[in-house]
Amino acid sequence: MVNNQAKITAIFAALADPTRRRILARLSNSGAGPVTALAKPFRISAPAISRHLRVLEKARLIHRRREGRVHVIRVRAAGFQPARDWLAQCAAEWDFSFDALDELLKIEQRKGKQHEVRGKNQR
Amino acid sequence: MKSEVKISGDRMEITRVFDAPRHLVFAWWTQAEKLQQWSGCKEATKCEIDMDFRVGGSFTQKMQIAGAGEFSFGGRYDEIIEPERIVYHANFGPVITRVIVEFFEQGRGTKVVVTHEGCPDEFFSKTVSQGTTESLDKLDLLLASQAVSLPL
Repeated sequence: MVNNQAKITAIFAALADPTRRRILARLSNSGAGPVTALAKPFRISAPAISRHLRVLEKARLIHRRREGRVHVIRVRAAGFQPARDWLAQCAAEWDFSFDALDELLKIEQRKGKQHEVRGKNQR
Repeated sequence: MKSEVKISGDRMEITRVFDAPRHLVFAWWTQAEKLQQWSGCKEATKCEIDMDFRVGGSFTQKMQIAGAGEFSFGGRYDEIIEPERIVYHANFGPVITRVIVEFFEQGRGTKVVVTHEGCPDEFFSKTVSQGTTESLDKLDLLLASQAVSLPL
């Protein structure tokens, strides 16, 4: 996963921006679309949209196909896998740690009961 | 996986029930000597924790990972309500997340809910799952059916 750090960081950084998330939302609803149609609902300049698209492209979350002068953009579902894996790993690590905590608590509880019994016997 | 994992809105929740009273479970979170006995990933051979367990106090966790060297992350405690709730910010791997740990009494046991906020799951749930691409349910299934073990 160490080698993946740069990829994951790029994905999370790309997703951190609300406009880029909206672009992705639009893309996953419509499937694919030319840049001009994609930019329409956003009240930002064409260069700004281009910058956002470049960030998404660098993070490998979108795919750009050139049809003559038209750039058609599509979501790359596979691009999210490193981030998914990271989340899954994060959950798996908690689960693993919790197994250890579970054991420690059981040991502690057993000891506690032994103390209780001893205490009662002494009384 | 014995924990329940739920992803909704912009958060990921991991829930686990422990068969021990709440004050005991809480105590394992509050001292470095205790925390480092259980906290850490599968691949970690050694885990060292430095912590200043008070609101505003910081912590660092250093782990030796077989084959990958040292990995560390740190953060700061934002809220501590004994024995109910601990909130901290963690520079956790590639993202900074807000982590909320809640302790609920459940019969004789304790339900612990760890919530990571600031995960990219807002995106997952609102776009990918509604779109034509793979859905978030897949991740839920994945997490529910198998413990994913990936080296850090």
